[in-house]
Amino acid sequence: MIQALAQLRQQPIISAVSIIGTALAIFLIMLVVMMQQVKTAPFAPESNRDRFLHVKYMSLTNKSWGESSSSNGPMSVQTAKELYASLKTPEAVTIYMCFTEATPVCLPGQPSKSVDKLETDAQFWKVFDFQFIDGKPFDQAAFDAGQPVAVITRSVSRALFGTAEGVSGREFLLNHASYRVAGVVEDVSTLANIAYAQIWIPYTSTRVGTTSWTDGHMGYMSCTLLAKSREDFDAIREESFRRLEEYNKVIGEDGYYIIHRNRPYDQEKASINGSANREFDVARENRSRLILYLILLIVPAINLGSMTQSRLRQRVSEIGVRRAFGSTRMEIMGQILMENMVVTLMAGFWGFLMSVAFAYLGSELLFSVGYSSTYVVPRTDMSMLLHASTFGWALLFCFILNLLSTGLPAWMASRINIVTAMRGKLH
Amino acid sequence: MNKKLFIQIKNEWRSNLWLAVELLLVSVVMWWITDALYVRLAVYLEPRGFNTEHCYKIEMGELTSKSPDYTRRSYEERSTDILELADRLRHRSDIEAVSLSHNSHPYNGSNGTIGVQLVGDTLETYGRVIRRQVTPDFVRVFQYQGANGETPEQLAEMIERGEILVSDNLFSSTYNRPLPMTNYIGKRFHLNRDTTSSVRLGASLKVVRYGDFQSGSESRSMVYKLDWFDKDQELCVRVLPEHDVDFINKVKADSESQYRVGNIFISEVRSFKDIRRNIQQGTYNAMRNNITIMVFLLVNIFLGLLGTFWFRTQQRRSEIALHKISGATNRDVFIRLVSEGWLLLLIITPLAFLVDYNLAYAELNSWRNGTTLEMDRLLACIGITFLLIALMIVIAIGIPARKAMHIEPADALRDE
Repeated sequence: MIQALAQLRQQPIISAVSIIGTALAIFLIMLVVMMQQVKTAPFAPESNRDRFLHVKYMSLTNKSWGESSSSNGPMSVQTAKELYASLKTPEAVTIYMCFTEATPVCLPGQPSKSVDKLETDAQFWKVFDFQFIDGKPFDQAAFDAGQPVAVITRSVSRALFGTAEGVSGREFLLNHASYRVAGVVEDVSTLANIAYAQIWIPYTSTRVGTTSWTDGHMGYMSCTLLAKSREDFDAIREESFRRLEEYNKVIGEDGYYIIHRNRPYDQEKASINGSANREFDVARENRSRLILYLILLIVPAINLGSMTQSRLRQRVSEIGVRRAFGSTRMEIMGQILMENMVVTLMAGFWGFLMSVAFAYLGSELLFSVGYSSTYVVPRTDMSMLLHASTFGWALLFCFILNLLSTGLPAWMASRINIVTAMRGKLH
Repeated sequence: MNKKLFIQIKNEWRSNLWLAVELLLVSVVMWWITDALYVRLAVYLEPRGFNTEHCYKIEMGELTSKSPDYTRRSYEERSTDILELADRLRHRSDIEAVSLSHNSHPYNGSNGTIGVQLVGDTLETYGRVIRRQVTPDFVRVFQYQGANGETPEQLAEMIERGEILVSDNLFSSTYNRPLPMTNYIGKRFHLNRDTTSSVRLGASLKVVRYGDFQSGSESRSMVYKLDWFDKDQELCVRVLPEHDVDFINKVKADSESQYRVGNIFISEVRSFKDIRRNIQQGTYNAMRNNITIMVFLLVNIFLGLLGTFWFRTQQRRSEIALHKISGATNRDVFIRLVSEGWLLLLIITPLAFLVDYNLAYAELNSWRNGTTLEMDRLLACIGITFLLIALMIVIAIGIPARKAMHIEPADALRDE
């Protein structure tokens, strides 16, 4: 360790180049890791992401539409209930509006403010874990009765009532109709892209739930299934395919047929920003991410390798002496690798810190998602950016980078002839 | 001089090999990114066929029975209410044109398609033809242009008469040969192979692109009159340029007093600038990633060359001193060092060309004009890559070279 630091001081420019190169590589790699993690790693209110199965869209066709014609988009409440709410294997199933809608809210006689509204069922509150700071979610009875009740975020509560506490039970206007506050939750980041909204109401309190087209099959809704554990995924898919087959027989009498496109999708697959008329390609996404990692690792590794070799060249006589006193080749290699690991870890630590700081401060630049119904900018906090696995990835990438950049020069250095080495020549 | 350069490069072939491998790898990746950006930019710069400057979308809401103001309205009354709202907006002094449409405005997330067949002929469209159902003023809001120079006003009259408008490439993009639709003006067409009815083609449109990053050749479309009205449809307005200041707030301020018709009200107003950004964010993200990687690669070349040449100039101190004694100017010293880098780049470029060519041949880069391998694009992108790397070489080697320039021969040789 001390030797490694002393080495660094002897060649300030080359050391600086090595450290900046390593830090920059880890910085960018960790940004890529975090960009993926906000899509798939759990954080409130989507803490159960690893147990989610999503059906955002459906694909419908009809014999009379011709061979390749299909209609793709969100489904009607009826379809969602028939196909998914009827399943026995999942722990819970929630049906909600496919996208948020900008909706005016205000107190009577005051100017209105536009907020993102999501219409849901009562199960929604079981599937997603919102942090309530006041009141509680609307329950099944309120939902069934189509009561005008709402859960609002802290910010909306502040904007409406000037406070976020003790407001449950108070009334306000939503779309010029009177709604009662059921509860207040902490603000939700747009990155929780399914649960996100600023105000949630029962879809039975408006016309959204009863609006449908293509003979009642398609509508405004999506749904999310919460499995008891990931092990149930296959069983759930199997049950859902079976259910779909039965249902296709029923609607087949009018010529309709629902194409499943392997839905429902798990969180990783559902997070791909794709269109409704094709199956999302996880393998392709993973492949392009792997290529990205390789580019971010190999180019700096070549650079660092060249630096390491320059540094080793000044130390050949030292290596020769060690070899002469009985160090094995493995020991020489191990020592060089360890020395460099100290540098890599140090630089990697700085790169990692920079990436976290950047991800936090530059979240709009970094995490803005492709096409969404909300115009609110994404917000991040540490619970979203830092997971145990984040540190694991950072360490792993440091190891790989070190091995790639130092492995070859260390191997070459360990194989030099003792006599020539002691004369101070590498080759 | 050049021969000596080669000898010098050969003498240090080990560290030069590291650099050459790095330059080759970086050159290939940078070419791929340059190619992707080149295609994006080329598509972006094509004529759009529409104009969304000073345009806004007004989203409508509808009262439910929960509201005290709710009144029961029939389907027909509801349609009249929506048209009345559009009409009231039309009378604003700051608005130039107002239209209603279904899945039609530019930068749209939703779309519908249609098939168009020439009556009494085999010519018909295959694949994606975007269907735009609009009120006549739609073409004035987004300033569509006729291929024969028809103005938006003339086009609007045609829609009013029940005629259809189609993009000029409707058949030429289908059959991949020149069949401009201007030849078919006045002819009648079936829609979706419905042979029981036909419509007259009013005009051929200058190609209307689907968005900023969809090329004209892949954007075929057809426009006809909207005959049903719903609150989920698109209510779009064009504001007079001189009045386009704080428009959103002005409309919202008036919305409750003037723009509540029946159960219909204004729920949100968005500028097309925001709509455009929102829908294209995914593409912007991809471009941001590409540019970041490009900068990262250039920085790596910078670091690699800086480190290596810093080391070399140190080792060659006395050699450079001798060089200076025998009459070399500072400029000579500088150019000689930088040339070493450039020569390395020149050596790897033919290799990079081979790799790039094969990647393009294997269709692993960006598509344009229906292909991935266009010689002019390939050469242009390799050229751009070459220049960028060459520039980086000057900057990176320049720093140690400047230091070497100032070596005092007397000092350097005394050390020896």
